[in-house]
Amino acid sequence: MALLRMVFREIWLNLRGRGSSLLVTLLMVSLSFVVFDVFLLVTANLGSMLERERESIGMEAFLEEGLSPQAARSMGDVIAGMEQVRSVYYVTPREAEAIFRSQFTRREEMLDLLSSEYRLPASLQITPAESGQSPAAMEELARTVAGMEGVVDVVYGEEYLSDLSDTVSALARLDLFAGLVLVVSISLVVANTVRLSVSRRSLTVQIMSISGASGWFVRTPYLVEGLVSGLAGSALGLALVALASQMLQGTIGHRFLPLEWSLLVVGLGGIVGLAGSWLGLRAALPGLGRTGPVRGGRIR
Amino acid sequence: MLVSMDGVSYRYRTWPALEDVTMGLAEGEFLVVSGPSGAGKTTLLRLMWMDILPDTGTLEVAGFRADGITRRELPLLRRKLGIVFQDFRLLPDRTVYDNVALPLQVAGTAPRMIRRRVFELLAEMGLSHRRISYPHELSGGEQQRIAIARAMVSHPPILLADEPTGNLDPGVSRMIVDLLLDINRGGTAVVMATHDPRQIPEGTARMLFLDRGRLSDPGFWPGMGG
Repeated sequence: MALLRMVFREIWLNLRGRGSSLLVTLLMVSLSFVVFDVFLLVTANLGSMLERERESIGMEAFLEEGLSPQAARSMGDVIAGMEQVRSVYYVTPREAEAIFRSQFTRREEMLDLLSSEYRLPASLQITPAESGQSPAAMEELARTVAGMEGVVDVVYGEEYLSDLSDTVSALARLDLFAGLVLVVSISLVVANTVRLSVSRRSLTVQIMSISGASGWFVRTPYLVEGLVSGLAGSALGLALVALASQMLQGTIGHRFLPLEWSLLVVGLGGIVGLAGSWLGLRAALPGLGRTGPVRGGRIR
Repeated sequence: MLVSMDGVSYRYRTWPALEDVTMGLAEGEFLVVSGPSGAGKTTLLRLMWMDILPDTGTLEVAGFRADGITRRELPLLRRKLGIVFQDFRLLPDRTVYDNVALPLQVAGTAPRMIRRRVFELLAEMGLSHRRISYPHELSGGEQQRIAIARAMVSHPPILLADEPTGNLDPGVSRMIVDLLLDINRGGTAVVMATHDPRQIPEGTARMLFLDRGRLSDPGFWPGMGG
C-alpha cells in the first residue's frame, strides 16, 4: 500500500510543472484521433447504408408473354425453394400496369399511347434471404433464374450494390491504413515525450536506482504518463468529432459511432499510449523487461 | 568479506580504467582509495555498486556475484549499500525529509517507520530544523550531510563515498570526514575515494593507492601534514 502511494506520488511529481509539453502531446494525439474517428464515422455510416440497401433490394424476373399463370406460379415455387431466396411474389400483367400507373403518375400517357392489346409483362418479384444479399450471391441467383425456361430477363441493382460494396470495403482498408499510421505516429509522439521526461528527471531515476528501487517502480510513472496521454487524447478526439457530428446532423443525416466502437477507440488510445511510453523507456532506460543475468556494460 | 575483487579489469572502450585489481573489504573496515585524477577511483566504486560490471576477474559485493546477478537482484544489492557523491545529488524538487526518506520509500517501508527513522537520523546530524527545506536552501556542508543521511537511512552494511569532500572547504571537509568516521565506528564498512588522503587521521583507515588503473599498497601513511 505504501509502495502504491509512493508510485502515485512519483506520477504526480513527474507530471508537475510540465503542463505545456503534456498539452502539446495531448493535442497531437487527439488531432490524430480526430482524423481516424472521421474515417471510422464515414465507414460506419456507409456500412449501415449498404446493409439497409441490401435488405431493401429485390430482384425481378420478367416472364415470356405466353406463359400461363399456373406455369409462372410453379416456377415461383421452385425459386422460393432455393436456399438464398426468402420469398417470391407473382405479379400479373394487370398488377404490373397498376403498379406502373401508381409509381409513374406523370408517365401514364405512355401506356395509353400503346395499343389496347399491349400488356406489361408478368414477372416474379424475388426477395433474397439474408445469406443471398451479397453481390456475389445476387449475381449467382440472377444467373440461375435467367437460365430457367420462360424467363426473358432478370434485373436487380447489381452495379449500384457492387459499387457501394466496393466503396465500403475500400474505406475499411483505408481505416486499417489510417489506424496503422495512427498507431505508429502516436507511439512515436508519446515515446519522444517520455524520453524527454526521463531525460528531464535523469537525476531522480539515477538516485532511485541506486537507492534500490525496482525497475517497475522507476518505470511505472512514465508508463502511466503514456497511458493517460493516449486515453485522454483519444477521448478528446472522440469528443471533438462527436461535437462536429452534432453540428452537422441537420445538414448531413448520419449516426454517430456506436458506443462499442467509441469504447474501442478510447481503448486503442490507451494501448497506443502505453506502447509509446514503453518504446520511449526502452530508448531512455535500456534493459526494460530483461530479467536474465546482466552481461557487461552499463546497467541501471 | 563484504567486497571481494580478484583480478578485476575494466575498460572504457579502449582505455583501461582498471587493470588486474585484487582487493577486499572486511566488515566494519574503513578503506581509503586514493590516487590522482583519472586513476580509476570512481570506476572502482561504480564496480562495487554494479553500475558497471568487470570485463574480466571476479567481483562479489554483499553476497552478490557480478557474473550471476540478475536485474531483479540488482535493487536488493543496492539496498545493502549507501552511496555518497562529490556533487551531493539531492533531488531538487523534494524537501530534505523526502530526500532522506527516499531509500525507505522505494523499498515499501511503512510511512510510520520512515517518519521515525528520518526524524531520528536528522536529529543525530543536527539537521532537524532543515527537514522542510529544499536542497537549494542549504549550504554545501549541509547538503553533503543530507546526502550521507540518505545513504545511511536504511542501515546499509557498506557506505561508498566518492570524493565526498571534493566540493567543500577544508573546515566542512573535516566535519564530513568526522561524520564518516563516526558512521564507521557504528559498524558500517566505509569505502572513501579521495585524491587527498591527508584529511583522514592516521591509524583510522586502511589505505589503497590507485595509479593509472593499477592498485598498490603505498606502504606508508601520508599523514595530516603531507
